[in-house]
Amino acid sequence: MLPVSYYLIVAAIVFCIGVYGVMTLRSGIMIMMCVELMLNAANINLIAFASHFSQVNGHVFVLFSIALAAAEAAIGFAILMSIFRSKNNVNIDNINILRW
Amino acid sequence: MAVDNIVYLIPALPVLAFVLTLAFGKKLPSGGGYIPILAIAISCIISILAFLQIHETGIPIEVSAHWFSVLNVGILIDPLASVMLLMVTFVSLLIHIYAIGYMAHDPAKPRYFAETALFTAAMLGVVLADNILQFFIAWELVGLCSYLLIGFWFRKPTAAAAGKKAFLTTRVGDVLFLAGIVILFFNMREHVLPHITGHETVYLLQFSTIFDNIHHIPSGQLTIITLLFFGGAVGKSGQFPLHVWLPDAMEGPTTVSALIHAATMVTAGVYLVARTFPMFIAAPDSLMVVAYVGGFTALFASTMGLVMNDIKRVLAFSTISQLGYMMLALGMGSVIGAAAVGFAMFHLINHAFFKACLFLCAGSVIHSTGTNDLREMGGLMSKMKITGITMLFASLALAGIGIPFLKIAGTPIGTSGFVSKDAIIVEGSYVFAHMTNDWIPFAFGILAALLTAIYTFRLWFMAFTGKPRQERHPHESPATMTGVLSVLAVFALVFGMLTFLPFLDFVGHTYDHEEIHHLAELGGNHVIDHYELHDVVHHASPIIFLLPVIVGVGGLLLAWVIYNRRWISVASIGNMRNPLFAILAKRYYQHEIFIELISLKFTYGVLALTSEFSDRKIVDGIIDGISSFIIGGAEVLKKIQTGVVQNYATATVLGVGLIALILSFRGVF
Repeated sequence: MLPVSYYLIVAAIVFCIGVYGVMTLRSGIMIMMCVELMLNAANINLIAFASHFSQVNGHVFVLFSIALAAAEAAIGFAILMSIFRSKNNVNIDNINILRW
Repeated sequence: MAVDNIVYLIPALPVLAFVLTLAFGKKLPSGGGYIPILAIAISCIISILAFLQIHETGIPIEVSAHWFSVLNVGILIDPLASVMLLMVTFVSLLIHIYAIGYMAHDPAKPRYFAETALFTAAMLGVVLADNILQFFIAWELVGLCSYLLIGFWFRKPTAAAAGKKAFLTTRVGDVLFLAGIVILFFNMREHVLPHITGHETVYLLQFSTIFDNIHHIPSGQLTIITLLFFGGAVGKSGQFPLHVWLPDAMEGPTTVSALIHAATMVTAGVYLVARTFPMFIAAPDSLMVVAYVGGFTALFASTMGLVMNDIKRVLAFSTISQLGYMMLALGMGSVIGAAAVGFAMFHLINHAFFKACLFLCAGSVIHSTGTNDLREMGGLMSKMKITGITMLFASLALAGIGIPFLKIAGTPIGTSGFVSKDAIIVEGSYVFAHMTNDWIPFAFGILAALLTAIYTFRLWFMAFTGKPRQERHPHESPATMTGVLSVLAVFALVFGMLTFLPFLDFVGHTYDHEEIHHLAELGGNHVIDHYELHDVVHHASPIIFLLPVIVGVGGLLLAWVIYNRRWISVASIGNMRNPLFAILAKRYYQHEIFIELISLKFTYGVLALTSEFSDRKIVDGIIDGISSFIIGGAEVLKKIQTGVVQNYATATVLGVGLIALILSFRGVF
């Protein structure tokens, strides 16, 4: 069995990719995907610790987290759809009507 | 005991008349003026019944109901209230009858009769109140009605201004009165309530509760309360320095002036002091203030009455002066005890009759000559016999002409003004002077009596004798008016003689003499008893008895010499080069002092502009400063909102990173 730190390193890498994507990408869809990456990095951590400590709590928690991510994705994409209808693209640089 | 059940009708009927006249007056003959007459006539009859019952049984009529908490509403008719009731309803009734004729040509009759009915009702409310709060409410209603009636011809700017002036000036007194009530209430709660045990409910502001517990209230507090009450009385009764509204109140119809000056309104102040007399006598120094203010007002107002040319203004100053006498009489209470209340009320009632008569005569003269100016009148005696003779009788009463020393069954012989004023000067202020060696109130009284006689007969001689000085042809007034004048003139002549001793005896029983003596000791006043008083009066030198009559007749002769015989030229005294005349004609520069100095310079120039400055610059400045600081801060901070989502995301990540860093340093991780 692999040591738990391996899993944690993978999760940290995935999380950093997610953060980097959110901070740099312009497309709304890509940002959504990066957010999913960060969520899943957290899920990996939960699973890793769950199997490490042989407890079922982490598994249950991840199921909730996945359901949450699904709901979040559904709402997020719905918002992006309506933005796309009015602006014909999903580049978030164009969505700035609330700036000063 | 049937009267107890219907006494509430005494004020209720005029109120009903007010509503009915206001609602239906336009459709009725004489503007519905017969409704208030009927209502007040019934009130008058009930008052007579109440009086007879009290006179017979000697027990006051008390009706009281719970209002809320520690307050009640109720009616108290003791001897003091019952004589006031009789006077108010009777004089008001006569004035209403007279007004049917006097106001015949006025288009706003319904409003007039409605307002006078309410005025009468309010005054009856003052008289009947059995607690100080109810007294104050009715007192305020009187003030409101006076405002409405003085400004009755409100399209005339001077009338509107006079109404406003009356309202605002009496308001100064009313605020003091209210402050007195508040302080009294807290004192009652603080010092009296703990002493009352066993009772179911106690009404703190009821007169009987207050009078029974005066000894629990600290005397310093009592002095403050009574002086504040007296402040209210000063405003309502036109005492110095709040008398300025009374001469201007002449802008209303003459019947209103008669109502204000005789039956209602101005007597309320005297009544207040008489009503709360036990408090006054238990308070150190309060009665002294009352005496001095009253005496000074009596003299001060009569000097101005000497030079007025408006017939109603002369009478207005004489009212102020006579009210001063009443206050003076009350002030003598510190020596002569409850008898002072009797003297003051006796003069009040007599004054009501002869002053109502004088005003209504003046109204009759104005009605027929169409002018208020005495200089344009003259020789009216031949044209208006009844008015002239009734006014002569009333003037004799006002000047206090009578026969000294001659007494039939203890009653002096003379006009009612003579009887009551003599009582105030001799048995009041002389006894006071004898006991305390303070001759100033006595001197005020005598000097004012001299001036009273002069201005009264100046008025009469100028109006009714000499050559006619006008083109119009005056005519005698209709019978409703002259009839009322005759009734009042008869009262002015004989009422004093007929009722002197019974009246003093009856009203004197309002307050228990023993109790008054105890209360006087609380206030440090030494009250002499009945026998001692008689002793002092009997041993007084004859000159004291003669003096009021000497000055009265002397004043009459002086007026006769100057204004009828014209042996002394009026023009040589009465011109503006004579500094004394100038100061009187300018009314001691009261207008300049009150309006221009106090109102414009001080209140407007100093107070109002200072508050405006502090409001604009300081209060508004702080508010404006805060808001502009926030606006400026927002201008800077809003730059953060770039609208670029990545910036927000970066800020979030940095923020979370910073928190993680801090927590890790603090050793949580």
